[in-house]
Parts: sequence; structure tokens; C-alpha cells
Amino acid sequence: MPTVTLVQAINMALDEELRRDERVLILGEDVGRRGGVFLATEGLQQKYGPDRVMDTPLSEAAILGAAVGLAAHGMRPVAEIQFADYVFPGIDQLFSQAAKLRYRSGGQFTAPMVVRMPSGGGVKGGHHHSQSPEAHFAHTPGLKVVVVSTPYDAKGLLKSAIRDDDPVVFMEPKRLYRAVKEEVPTDEYLLPIGKAAVRREGRDITLVSYGGPMVETLKAAEEMAAAGVEAEVIDLRTVLPWDKEAVLASVVKTGRLLVVSEAPRTASIASEVAATVSEELFDQLLAPPLRVTGFDTPYPLAQDKLYMPTVTRILNAAKRLLDY
Amino acid sequence: MVQERAAFPTFSQEPIRLIDPDGRWVAPFPHGLSAQELRRFYRDMLAARLLDEKLVVLVRTGKTSFIAPHAGHEAAQVGIAHALQRGHDWLFPYYRDLGLVLAMGVPLPEIFGQTLGNAADPAKGRQMPSHPGSRSLNIFTVCSAIASHIPPAVGAAISMKLRRTGQVAVCTFGDGATSEGDWHAGVNFAAVQRAPVVFVCENNRYAISVNIAQQTASENIAIKAKAYGIPGYHVDGLDVLASYSVVRYAVERARAGEGPSLVELVVHRFGPHSSADDDTRYKSKEELSAERRQDPLLRYQRFLEREGLWDAQWANELRLEIAKELEAALQEAQAAGEPDPLQMFDDVFAARPWHLEEQRRLLAEELEA
Repeated sequence: MPTVTLVQAINMALDEELRRDERVLILGEDVGRRGGVFLATEGLQQKYGPDRVMDTPLSEAAILGAAVGLAAHGMRPVAEIQFADYVFPGIDQLFSQAAKLRYRSGGQFTAPMVVRMPSGGGVKGGHHHSQSPEAHFAHTPGLKVVVVSTPYDAKGLLKSAIRDDDPVVFMEPKRLYRAVKEEVPTDEYLLPIGKAAVRREGRDITLVSYGGPMVETLKAAEEMAAAGVEAEVIDLRTVLPWDKEAVLASVVKTGRLLVVSEAPRTASIASEVAATVSEELFDQLLAPPLRVTGFDTPYPLAQDKLYMPTVTRILNAAKRLLDY
Repeated sequence: MVQERAAFPTFSQEPIRLIDPDGRWVAPFPHGLSAQELRRFYRDMLAARLLDEKLVVLVRTGKTSFIAPHAGHEAAQVGIAHALQRGHDWLFPYYRDLGLVLAMGVPLPEIFGQTLGNAADPAKGRQMPSHPGSRSLNIFTVCSAIASHIPPAVGAAISMKLRRTGQVAVCTFGDGATSEGDWHAGVNFAAVQRAPVVFVCENNRYAISVNIAQQTASENIAIKAKAYGIPGYHVDGLDVLASYSVVRYAVERARAGEGPSLVELVVHRFGPHSSADDDTRYKSKEELSAERRQDPLLRYQRFLEREGLWDAQWANELRLEIAKELEAALQEAQAAGEPDPLQMFDDVFAARPWHLEEQRRLLAEELEA
């Protein structure tokens, strides 16, 4: 079993799916000859040709809109948006066309497509190379939203996303692309969309996160363990539909919930999880659910590391919950 | 195939016209259509007009909430419908295309079902009226967002090209759509890919109230094609045979692998933008009546008369026959009744996730109480 980075695992998944299914096709800016600016599609055009790994004009509306038409006509397009921050010129295609096609046609037409995009901060990218816009997508009925944090998950979930019959926004925290490595099977495996993973078991407090801040969340859990506090850590992996069952089962056990995300706080996924737990487990909670999130500012360049949830901020919030 | 057909001039200053306003055939080549086909065009145009009139009555009597009238567009729409291979090629229409989808073969009860938003609508009453679609006829369900269907038409055409299906995508829109970014994105990508798609602008010179002079500084819509490296055809859209012949030429050209083109069909919009609009606020009485005098049905009637294909009794019987069909279809659609309210939660995804199951249960309990 090779040890690979997250971006290599993405490449493996794309390679396997291109080989498996002739209907699969990749389109985006620089995905062909260049192999993508992060090299997620490296070597694939050489292997499958320019029709199946297609360099497009610099137009997110063209990429996403063409993906809708390709999918409606029977293909399985995987569109790459170079940075999540640049999805906005194509957002009408995602929101008005992809998300609503099945619904507005009464199930006559569908758009089974994947939209991959590097997301999140931590690479000194300023506000237009660092955002975490997952809540926008989750707030648009008709889109599934996956945010990965490990190479193993990235491969298994991307393959599932490509086979899914609905549009899936697949977010890849760019700061993890080469920061995490693990053994990933070269054999076929799929991971279910909508299922969280318990990364660490514990009985004292539940930490729920996803994507980039999984790193800080797990570090915080280790520090807590050194101080005798056993934190259970859940990686949501899918934020729409998120795994309510897994989160509730954990909070029933611990009575305390802390949600960690680097997206802005207001109207966020973290808020949704916290609100749902409050509604459903009010009388079993030992403390009010808390959120540690990005701030409600545009993503700043100079304060790149301070904007995202720090281990200290996570530990402080956990302490509030434990001392409540 | 393409070589056998008459080639039409690109980027002409005067609109391409085969029948003049007096009904004279003015092209240097024969039209190559049988008497039966020529009469069929008239029938489809008349059916489109009578459907429009019926829909206006439905709004005025409170039976439906909205329509986008297509009267004045009939020659263009019937021309387009006959130019593609029905059930094989794909159509990506916009919201003023009920005459077009009717001529494409969408059954009238489905059109009325969609207009009423009831159980006779194949789209389950999900969208406002004038938003048809049909999977079996490859008619992509209309989306209100202007020009948003243009990149999807291009994507479908790329799929047709890659899979060598021999199909063509035809995408229609109004003049206002050409100002949208998605229009540029789609036309540009199609041209780069030489995708088998034909962009057809039904240019009625008004985007709700905004006149073409406020929409674009281009001398016409067709000329925009030049910048994308594809042919543009400026056509008299009140002439059904010009509309048909040029779109047919562009379709067969695309089918032969010669890439996309832009066809501009210049028409009039006899009605307001929609039933919620009042066109007398921005069109003068003189302009309205001058437009009305250039009725595409009348021009085509004069042509049929000159060709010896007109028969007043035939035309009257046709009118009665269509009126009867319309009424019967309306009755059939009305009888279908309201859709099941819990269908609201279907088709968001292929299967309902837990959150939609919960919300569905909530509404079901409210309805049972």
C-alpha cells in the first residue's frame, strides 16, 4: 500500500474513475497539460487524452454550466474550480441549474456532476485564495457538500461523489494537500457520503470538525488527554447531509459539544450542528454547545494563522465547557 | 447534406428573407417543401397563436397566475421546431417558447398542466407557468434565470460530439439574454470546442421594457458571432420559411461537424413581456399598431394564397379544430387536480436524506391534524 498525500489520493481517485467509466470526464482551467495548479490532475491528460481531461476557457460559468449539460446528456463530469474563491462567477450555474435541475423538471432531468475545489486558508493566500464557502452550498437545496481531511477519505469519497446521482461539491483543504500522508489502498474502495468518522474516542467532551481544522482539533484533543480529559473527535466529512446520528450519539455520551470550523461563524455549518444538538438533546447537555470558528471578517492575509481556529482557542472553549 | 442546401449569407446588413411582406417568394432557389409541409407550418403557427389567446383568457379569468405571451414569435418558433429532428436533437428553450414546444410535439394537456401547476404537469407543479420541459422529447426544462441554459446547452453539445451521437443542441433566448455573462461564456466555449449547437435569438427588441438600443451598441445580434469566430445569420423572423431554412441550415452544418452558429430571428412581441407587465408604459400606440400590421400569420397566408394553397374553408375548419383541441386539453388538464403536497420533498435529491425526511414528516403531521 503506497503512502500518499491528499492531493495524490485525489489523483488516484480520478485516474481510477476515468479508467472505470468512459462517461467520466474532467474539465477545468489548467487541468490538462499543466495537470492543475496543485497537480491534482497531473498525468491524466497524457493518459486519457484532451477530450476526457479538458482544458477550458477561463470561465467558471462555462465550466460549471457545461458540466450541467454534459451530465444531463449522460456524462459524469468532474469540474475543477481552481480555488473555491473563484466559484462565484459560476455560481448561477451551480445554484440555478445544477442544484435545481432534478427538482424543477420533476425528476425528468438530472445533473450528476462533481465540482472539486481547493478551499480554506493557511497558505498566505489573502481573501481570494483562502475562503471556506461551504455554507453557501449547504444552504442551496439540491447540492451535496463534502469536505475531506485525509488522503484515505479523499480517495474513497471522491469516487463515491463521481458515482452519485446528484451534484456534489467536493472541497479539498489546500493546506492539507501535502501536509498529511497515509497509506491508501490501490484497490477499489468507496466511502459513503453523509457518514462521519470518529477519529478519537472519549467520554468527556465531543469535538466536531471537518476539513482543515481537523488538524488543530486533534492536537487539542491530545493536549486534553495529557491533562486527563478524554475528548471524542468526530470528522463530519460530509457537511450536507451531515451525520446527525453520529454527532447525537457522541453528545449523548459526553454531554458537551464543541464545533470547530474555519468558515465565518454567522449562519455557518458549525451553527447548524450546534443548533440541532441544542434542539434535540437540551435536557442531556451539561453545558451549552459552543463554536470555535473563523471570524466574521473577510479572510485576512497578515493574520492568516490567527484567523483560523488555533489550538489555544479550541482548548479555551473546551475549558469553558468542562468548567460550566 | 450541407452542400445540397442553399448556403445563406453571414453577417448580412439586411435580414435574410424568403417571403416578402406581400407573400412573394423572393429567394433565388426553390423552397423544396411539399404542399402538405407548407400547410403544416401554417397549422402550427395558428395553433401557437390560438394557444397564446387561450392562455391570456386563463390569466384574465384567474385560472392561472402568469404567462409570457409568444404572439408575434410564431413564424420564428415554428421555423425552429421544424428545423430539428424531433426526439433526437435537444432543445434548450426559454420562457417565451410555448409556441415552439407545442410545435415540437409537447402534448397540449402537459402544456396546460404546467400552466395550472397541477398534477397534469410532468414537472409536478414545481415552476411558474411558461416553463415547460420534456425528457421524452429532449426538451430541457426551462429555467427562469436568463441565459443560464446556454452553458448547459453547450455541455450537452460537447457530449454529443464526444460520443458521436449525431445530435444537435438548439438553444433559444431573447435579445436581453445576449447581455448576460453566461451567454458569452457559453458561446465562447462552444466555438472553441466546435460543439454541435445552434444559438437562436428570438429578437423582439424588448427585454421587458428595455429597448434594444439600451441593450447593445452592436448593429444587430448576429454580428456578435464574428468575435467568437462563428457564423452569424441575421434573419427576418416574421418569415416562417426564412426562419426554418436558416435554422435548418445551421443545424445540419453543426451535425456535419462544422461547429456552432448564431441565428438571429427578428420578431415582434405583440403582447406585454408577461401577464404582469403593461407594455403601453413603454411602447407607443403607433408602435404597437405598426407591429400588429406585420403579423407573421398574415404574411404566410398571403404566401399560401399566391401558391394556390390557401382555402378559406380549410382555414376556418382548422381554426375550429384547434380551438376544440385546446378546450379538450384544458378540460383534461383541469381534471387532473392538485399534486400531492408531500411531493414537495421529492426530487431535491435522488433519495431523501434525513433532514428532508424530518421536514416531510412535519408537514405530513400538520396536514393530518
